[in-house]
Amino acid sequence: MALQPASGARDLNPQQVEHNQLLRERLAAVYRCWGYDEVSPPQVERMDTLKAGGGIDSADIVRLVSDEPLGLRPELTASIARAATTRLAERPRPLRLWSSGTVFESCANDEGGQRIEEKLHSGVELFGASQVNGELELLSLLMTSMQALELQQNHGAQLLVGHAGLMNLILSPFVPEVRHQIKQALVCFDRLQLQALDLPAEQLQRLQTQIDLRGEPSEVLAEERRVFGSQPVLCHLERMFNHLQPIAAQQGIKLQLDPSFQPHFELYDGLVFQLVCQGRAAPVVIARGGRYDRVLKRFGASGHNAAGLGFSFCLDDIRDLPAAEQPCVSDLDRVLVAYGPASSLETALLHQQELHRKGINAMIELDPVESSDHAESLLATRRCSSLAWLAS
Amino acid sequence: MITVALAKGALLKESVARFSAAGLDFSAVLDPDNRQLMVPSECGRARALLVRNGDVPVYVAYGQAQLGVVGYDVLREHQMPVAQLVDLNFGGCRMAVAVKESSGYQRAADLPPHCRVASKFTRCARAYFDALELPVELVHLTGSVELGPITGIAEAIVDLVATGRTLKDNGLVAIEDLFQTTARLVGHPLSLRLDRGELGEIIDAMRAATPTPVVTA
Repeated sequence: MALQPASGARDLNPQQVEHNQLLRERLAAVYRCWGYDEVSPPQVERMDTLKAGGGIDSADIVRLVSDEPLGLRPELTASIARAATTRLAERPRPLRLWSSGTVFESCANDEGGQRIEEKLHSGVELFGASQVNGELELLSLLMTSMQALELQQNHGAQLLVGHAGLMNLILSPFVPEVRHQIKQALVCFDRLQLQALDLPAEQLQRLQTQIDLRGEPSEVLAEERRVFGSQPVLCHLERMFNHLQPIAAQQGIKLQLDPSFQPHFELYDGLVFQLVCQGRAAPVVIARGGRYDRVLKRFGASGHNAAGLGFSFCLDDIRDLPAAEQPCVSDLDRVLVAYGPASSLETALLHQQELHRKGINAMIELDPVESSDHAESLLATRRCSSLAWLAS
Repeated sequence: MITVALAKGALLKESVARFSAAGLDFSAVLDPDNRQLMVPSECGRARALLVRNGDVPVYVAYGQAQLGVVGYDVLREHQMPVAQLVDLNFGGCRMAVAVKESSGYQRAADLPPHCRVASKFTRCARAYFDALELPVELVHLTGSVELGPITGIAEAIVDLVATGRTLKDNGLVAIEDLFQTTARLVGHPLSLRLDRGELGEIIDAMRAATPTPVVTA
């Protein structure tokens, strides 16, 4: 009998659960403050919904053995987008929703078998917000959420921003047959794949310039204007960064515009971003998001309703950042109710009830203890701060 | 600190030479008395991890090493999400289908359907025979693959061929090539995106120190 959890599944101890809860509550307070309502999408969905109209590869989804094609959600957006385009379709826009919960991503392990990545996510979705206005609210909310998480300077938070419109500008000179391969090479940072495409030298040179182009947003935008001229997407990005720069600087978050950046899930068709922190040995993506109007159109939305964007934090990854605040369960104000041989468990339970009525956390030492000194010595083991001793 | 994954074995000496050209001296790993698996560079701003060939893309894909040097054959076999940055143009050889000299097979397509093929590189072999639409049973071996046809465990093998001498000495002959392979400089995609120029300088210097690249099939 295998007593280990499945590869990639989470099996958290009390401190980890407590820390996740703390992070979740901090974020929830920010979302509520900004007027977002909580929803709780199902963990199990039809595969058609989970694939988000082709945005998510079925290989990324943990499928269930059932009569109809069902799977576990690999992210929260598709389920909430389904709800927004169906039973919440009549709600006035902008529609602001948030949720938190477990997501399950399927990937291949090193031996080629299936590995299930189980993670706790918390994020928001904003429906019916037009270009730039929606992005401005979303990224401002992301910054405020970051502040609430109280990340430290040594986490070196960086916000990587890309845009599908920028990628389209880069790909526009090429015939459709070769665009997908070029995009793959740019996204995967694969210079050799780019060289192997046998493109004219001048075009290859332009693509190599794009693959190396990233950094401070105003500099990257200036370079892209030089290459592509004045384009609406560049104006949108400029307005967005003008607003974000001072906020990010105040919070010590580096902003980076990266024209060749696109995330793993192909949900997004506008702004895309990832928030990256320095982990123990490697950079860790703690949040990701973007605009996904196309997904809503595939779900049947049209006009003003076919506009959606959002982000999601991975709470497990934030919790595991080095030197992140670790709430200690032993710091809890908790009373240990212990009784001597002359008293009884029943008396102790009544005393515990009395303490609970006064709003005091109290736990019982189930077996009698020979002396109050011995009971005192149990406090650290039971992670309690004080003792209620019942001698008789 | 920059961490580099280096493959033990045939590629190590030249890998150290290429990093040296980029200003990172890991020559301590070539000392026969060295038993350390993590070795700092002379300048102290980088360290090298000495790992098995197949583990280089794993360390790089997980971001524990930002850069690594490994053969293209290993990248094709393991399919890890790493960025291929420079064809370093050394350690050249080819992945080939080989059979017993006396077998009479001239091409891979001559092999009988459902025959057994032995290889260390079963993923590469699977992709190749799938493309040929020839159903074969792959037998995974971890070394001395040439024994496959000799002992009869397999009709053919798929393996790396450098000079062809080992094949010849064991009565085998290569009948078809899958692809050419050379050493590649690979990188962790997210670290490369976050790079503030430090990795870029090393990559550019290694590219500049590399002879004309060979285009792979």
